[in-house]
Amino acid sequence: MSTFRPRPDASPKLAGSAVYGMDLELPGMLWAALVPSPTAHGRLRAVDLAPARALPGVVAVGAADVASLLSGAHGDAERPVFPSETVVFRHQPVAAVAAPTLERAREAARAVRVDVESLPVVSDLEDLFPDWPGPEAEGSPHIAAHVRAHSGDVEAVFRSAETVVRETYRTASVHQVAIEPHACLAMVDGGLWRVRSSTQTPFGLREDIASLLGVPEEKVVVEGTWVGGGFGGKNAALIEPYALLLAKASGRPVKLSLTYREEFLLGRTTLPSVVRMETAVTNGTIVARRVRLLLDVGTSLPGRDFATGYSIGFLLGPYRTPAFEVEGYAVMTNKPAFGPHRAPFAPQCVFALESHLDHVAREVGLDGVAFRASHLWQEGTTTPMGQTVGPFGLATALERARATAARWRAEKGPDAGVGVAVGFWSTGTGAGGEARLRLSPTELTVVQGEREIGSGSVLAGVAAVVARATGLPRERVTVEYEDTAHAPFDSGVFGSRTTAALGRAAEEAVGSLLEELRRRTNRSGPVRLSVRNGEIVVTAAAGERTIRDLLSDSERRAGGLVAVGKHYGKGGEIDETKVDVGTFYPYTDFTGAAHVAEVAVDRETGTVRVTRYAAFHDIGTVIDGATAPAQVEGGVVMGLGTALTEEAIWSEDGRLLNAGLLDYRLPTLGSVPPIEVAFVEGFPGAGPFGAKGLGEPPIIPVAAAVALAVRDATGAHITELPLSSERVARALKLL
Amino acid sequence: MTHRPLSIAVNGTARSLDDVPDSERLLDTIRWRLGLKGTKEGCRSGECGACTVLVDGVSTLSCLTLSREVDGTSLTTVEGVADDPVGKEVAEAFARAGAVQCGYCTPGFVMALVGLLKERGRSATVEELLADLGGNLCRCTGYLSIARAVALLSRESP
Repeated sequence: MSTFRPRPDASPKLAGSAVYGMDLELPGMLWAALVPSPTAHGRLRAVDLAPARALPGVVAVGAADVASLLSGAHGDAERPVFPSETVVFRHQPVAAVAAPTLERAREAARAVRVDVESLPVVSDLEDLFPDWPGPEAEGSPHIAAHVRAHSGDVEAVFRSAETVVRETYRTASVHQVAIEPHACLAMVDGGLWRVRSSTQTPFGLREDIASLLGVPEEKVVVEGTWVGGGFGGKNAALIEPYALLLAKASGRPVKLSLTYREEFLLGRTTLPSVVRMETAVTNGTIVARRVRLLLDVGTSLPGRDFATGYSIGFLLGPYRTPAFEVEGYAVMTNKPAFGPHRAPFAPQCVFALESHLDHVAREVGLDGVAFRASHLWQEGTTTPMGQTVGPFGLATALERARATAARWRAEKGPDAGVGVAVGFWSTGTGAGGEARLRLSPTELTVVQGEREIGSGSVLAGVAAVVARATGLPRERVTVEYEDTAHAPFDSGVFGSRTTAALGRAAEEAVGSLLEELRRRTNRSGPVRLSVRNGEIVVTAAAGERTIRDLLSDSERRAGGLVAVGKHYGKGGEIDETKVDVGTFYPYTDFTGAAHVAEVAVDRETGTVRVTRYAAFHDIGTVIDGATAPAQVEGGVVMGLGTALTEEAIWSEDGRLLNAGLLDYRLPTLGSVPPIEVAFVEGFPGAGPFGAKGLGEPPIIPVAAAVALAVRDATGAHITELPLSSERVARALKLL
Repeated sequence: MTHRPLSIAVNGTARSLDDVPDSERLLDTIRWRLGLKGTKEGCRSGECGACTVLVDGVSTLSCLTLSREVDGTSLTTVEGVADDPVGKEVAEAFARAGAVQCGYCTPGFVMALVGLLKERGRSATVEELLADLGGNLCRCTGYLSIARAVALLSRESP
């Protein structure tokens, strides 16, 4: 601990001076509230704003007002800010109001008369498709996306195989539950639509707002605040368009923040799924697999098939499969749209895949871990979709996990069990970005639009890359945040991409900065930066020059020498001849983890307690030794929630029954086991210094490892998430 | 409607607050009337602990407390702990243990811990302290670094 250097954001956050979206305030601002649809599906007969507008100081906007507020601009016709004909999920905002106080705004929201003729509600995707969708699915208004790919004649292999195992898995809806609700402050000023928001993606939000309101991107300016947790929930526009329309209508700044209940009711997140798995084995080897996914995507728009086309790959890999069929349907229901939640849908896929392959191994009399290990991708393996696996440490991680599991098994008590699971991920280096550096005589500054959201990927990751590439000590590298009108473009903090992708841009900017300094100092060899007597100096074989000496007057007045780097990474490519229908997405980098869970299961209540945990990760090169293990700990614990307690429960009429922290249970301090974290190095990724992404992988294998540990402890083979006390008790025939 | 002014010592400074409605929550008084935004608003229903403050030294959920109830008391928010020796130690332990990520739950944890250390004295064991922090939620850290911060405090105590 003595060598630990506190993160630079620790101090303002501990002092309470860091300003988050929830904290935003301007003199004269109005407070906003949303008017919810009273039903999950219905024809809007009338939204009468008059009773709200009759209250003193209240401004109200609804579908009828949007065209005039946008003065003829046309927003996204498929995604109107307010519905004008049909509401498609319960609490969908049908109007928004603003008032000088929040109490008045809420009173006004309640005063709006919403007249809806109820229509039949589809709440459960299995009500629509109790079996697999047949030909009737073609053209069904409930299918948002359909993907299918295959290789070989799976049916023929199934007929000739020694053993075919068929199973069905079901997973629950889980929420991101950042502790800070969504919050923003909007104003319309000099023809610019300005919003400050707690967002993971200032530039993505700018693009989203421009598209939703139908205004040019350059007329939208987004400034990020500190973000009180993102986890995928804050990477698209959710509340900002409402606040901007109210700001336009009132001519005042407008603050909009969600209540915690609204967080659950409006947030876009992971929805339920059904996964069907069929695996054929001959002589202990997988000869063919068929995997099928029905994914609830709520009110996601048709054609937006990333959820199925990307996630579905996690049902196949990281295992060699000579013949396969993979098919997925995104099914629309009357819930909010599906949205990303830390490693979107991978924990659910991996729970089904790992549980299933372990079960297959048992059916053919083999050890589950050995069976999986013998099929694992290695560097050079061709994936089912035809990509070549790059440097990949998953097999090494699994060996470490097996050794730990063997040790724990030898020590465990009678009600305990140990489970091992692996998961892979692809760092999102395909999404592009630019980095701008500014070198002053005493400081090197990274200028950017996206905030550090807590993971450390910006302040510890990108800043560490810059320090390492220049030779400067970390405390000389600072990060400065600008709005989207002034910051260099970057895709944002998501997809475990920041340290790797933005880090690559920063590394390139360092390259051009050092090249310029080499030119100015007339050196021939490489140059580095260091600090001498408080000043930054350029060092090379032939001596030193201070930066102060090397800057022109105008550069000094401008704050320093500026260098820019770009990273528009090329994604991988898949073998399109295998694709029958829809879009499949390639992986850009191969990263993975092997986890070990030890559980104790209460034989009277079915309650599962995780007693210790180990996580072995291939993240290429560890860029920051303090924040990397912290990411793993946090991701594992979030995964324990998905594994054991977190489940958003929807009624038949589309109500979310547990929209609050009392009934939607997060892991708490007392429920967390000790977690051993280790990194397997030597498998470089595409990021700077061989880094791979880390934000998402730690959550991926957790539910699978816990489920396999529960099976080890009790023999119960549970095929649904979460492994709540009730489900485990039923499996143990206690209920 | 007029209200009797509230008199509260806020981080050591006597404040008189006019026109505070009977229904106003202490959380809102702190954040919007006193402008002390370090006290965080999360669930507003006593489930997350982000809004924890000290009322006469006792850790209190400001979202479940009416401002009227704290009339005549001494209120400490996270902005006030910089001047408090226990508060300083807690903040330093959190920084050293890497227990701050997004930071939104952090002031609540700091205040709860400062309250516990003051209430129980420095003899409290790590287990006792951790048990009493069970009402504070964190979604980033997985709690283990927070537990390490608590262990640092306990070990360093005389």
